[in-house]
Amino acid sequence: MLVQFFVPHRASTTLYEMVLDWVQIIYAFSLLVGAAMLVRHHAKTALRPSAKDRPYSLIVLSGIGIMLVTGLFSSRGPGTAFLWIFQNVQAPMQATMFSLLSFFVASAAYRGFRARNTQAIFLLAAAVLVMLGRVPVGEMITSYFPDGADWLLNVPSMAARRGIYIGIALGTIATSLRVILGIERTYLGGK
Amino acid sequence: MIADQRNSASLQTRHFIFILVAVSVALPLIFKIGLPLKVTAEVQGAYDFIDELPEGSAVIFSFDHDTGTLPEMIPLAEALLRHCFKKNLKVLGLALLAEGAAVGDDNFRRIGNEYNKIYGVDYLFWGYRPQVTVAILGMGENIERVFPADYTGKDLRSFPVMQNIRNYHDIAAVITVADGDMPVSWVHYGQARYGVKVIPAVTAVMATTIYPFLQSGQVAGLIAGLRGAAEYEKLIGIPGKASRGMDAQSSAHILIIGLIIAGNIILIRERRRKRS
Amino acid sequence: MDIGVTVGALLTLAIYSFLYRDNPYYKVAEHILLGVSVGYFVVTTITSTLVPKLFESIIRNGNFIYLIPGLLGALMFLRFSRRLAPVSRIPLSLIIGVGAGVAIPANMQAQIIAQVKATMLPLGSISNIIIVVAVLTVLVYFYFSREHKGIIGAGAKAGIYFLMIFFGTTFGYTVMARISLLIGRLQYLLGDWLGLIK
Repeated sequence: MLVQFFVPHRASTTLYEMVLDWVQIIYAFSLLVGAAMLVRHHAKTALRPSAKDRPYSLIVLSGIGIMLVTGLFSSRGPGTAFLWIFQNVQAPMQATMFSLLSFFVASAAYRGFRARNTQAIFLLAAAVLVMLGRVPVGEMITSYFPDGADWLLNVPSMAARRGIYIGIALGTIATSLRVILGIERTYLGGK
Repeated sequence: MIADQRNSASLQTRHFIFILVAVSVALPLIFKIGLPLKVTAEVQGAYDFIDELPEGSAVIFSFDHDTGTLPEMIPLAEALLRHCFKKNLKVLGLALLAEGAAVGDDNFRRIGNEYNKIYGVDYLFWGYRPQVTVAILGMGENIERVFPADYTGKDLRSFPVMQNIRNYHDIAAVITVADGDMPVSWVHYGQARYGVKVIPAVTAVMATTIYPFLQSGQVAGLIAGLRGAAEYEKLIGIPGKASRGMDAQSSAHILIIGLIIAGNIILIRERRRKRS
Repeated sequence: MDIGVTVGALLTLAIYSFLYRDNPYYKVAEHILLGVSVGYFVVTTITSTLVPKLFESIIRNGNFIYLIPGLLGALMFLRFSRRLAPVSRIPLSLIIGVGAGVAIPANMQAQIIAQVKATMLPLGSISNIIIVVAVLTVLVYFYFSREHKGIIGAGAKAGIYFLMIFFGTTFGYTVMARISLLIGRLQYLLGDWLGLIK
């Protein structure tokens, strides 16, 4: 795949497309393996009558079963049970799970975000400027807030992120070379 | 006993903060204030790029998110889709995360119906593909090889909208509505290798990740979070849930800043007490 | 009142009950979510990818070469057998190898060459000077092959302050994102369910 990047010959491109195709299919199987592992774990718990979490495991397995039946043996478009469950059970609950973080962020803001040293002051000042500069009320108080936030995001913050990106890219290239040369084998369970 | 009292005291403080957060968000939603909003250069850049595309240009619209971030993703997707349909662009949708597939299909049909667009002629939804890298690279060579059929299982070649569309050379831009680092993958494998223009519409958390690509010109604009969606709604002249949420966003931010200040006042007092 | 919205709202409130404390209603809702989302994921993976790309290619189009990736993919299930588990590493190696191969030119082009090029700015304005200094000092900070002393130490220290600014802006945006998610949920509860938002 690395060599192919530099070889635009038709045979190289054909092989490239075939490999990309195959990897997608194999990767789909790997996702199913993950799901199978979860089913195995909950099935083991569900089959043990004395297990404390048995009712919850039964709920998980029922959820999986219902979605498989409604999704694989009938259509999945508008007006179907599959889509109804997705829109009225999965989507609201998952969005709610993530929204819990807003409460914890507020609680952490009061208990944890303390300017204990100069570096923390820089961090908090930047955070407060962005929080004020990116909402209408901040724009109403003074134009320095949105202008300051814009400058902060486009200059020092952007530059720091760029430094991180370049570092990550160098590390990724080094690791990829190690994988290709067989030096890195941890993904196979080796050292 | 003292430990129990301390625990019950901190429990109360936490719950009080939770209630304050809920109230600070709920009240402005119920009692609309309508604070004015300024459009930033990043969002204007994205809007101008799409607005200047000739009628009939094909754009890829990628739903690269899951359902956890729908409150940000749906307003972004709706505003961008409305703009694309208003400009009579050919919109070709896909999802690189499984949950984006159902969300994308629903959004396409709803917004498409608003503009009397015909599925298969004006827009098409290809569905979900796993393995982001391979999917993006594959479309650079041959889209039909990656998506032989659409989301409903029909042969891709049977749709008029796919005429003359083979790979990124026939695509004017890729709009990625993402809650993770998918836009970075689009830049790495789509823009860098095949030169396709990328417009990221991301959750606010990912915004700072995209700024280096914005400054280098690797992306054409940036629409971040509910605020970005509200700005885009203002530009297309169709206010929606994002615009409505900005008052609540303002009051919640003021509360959080107040909590940070309160916490730091306590820190200063503790330090003075220790010194004395 | 839509029955679907009511079901969604009640499950939403069950999740929010966690804010008071962990309780059976929250646990039930959490496990329903886990089951339904895994089921959705499996259905979408099979119907969107395996059916059109594998099964239809072989059965409908007679493209028997697709038996190879099908077989390789099936080998991944050998992970469940203690004796045959090592065989499942073959398809995994293919995925990792492809990823490593395509990552090198992509990172080189998009994250090194393009980003370094964009940093080569005329030093005629304070902003441009700050950009160049910030990128260099952050890179110095992440250079751990030499001890952070002297000029390298000073550069690393400056890099930390630029990193703090970056973390601060990211934190500010993170707060914004979390609040936006809460706004969306309250719009759902107060608007779509209770009709209080006009």
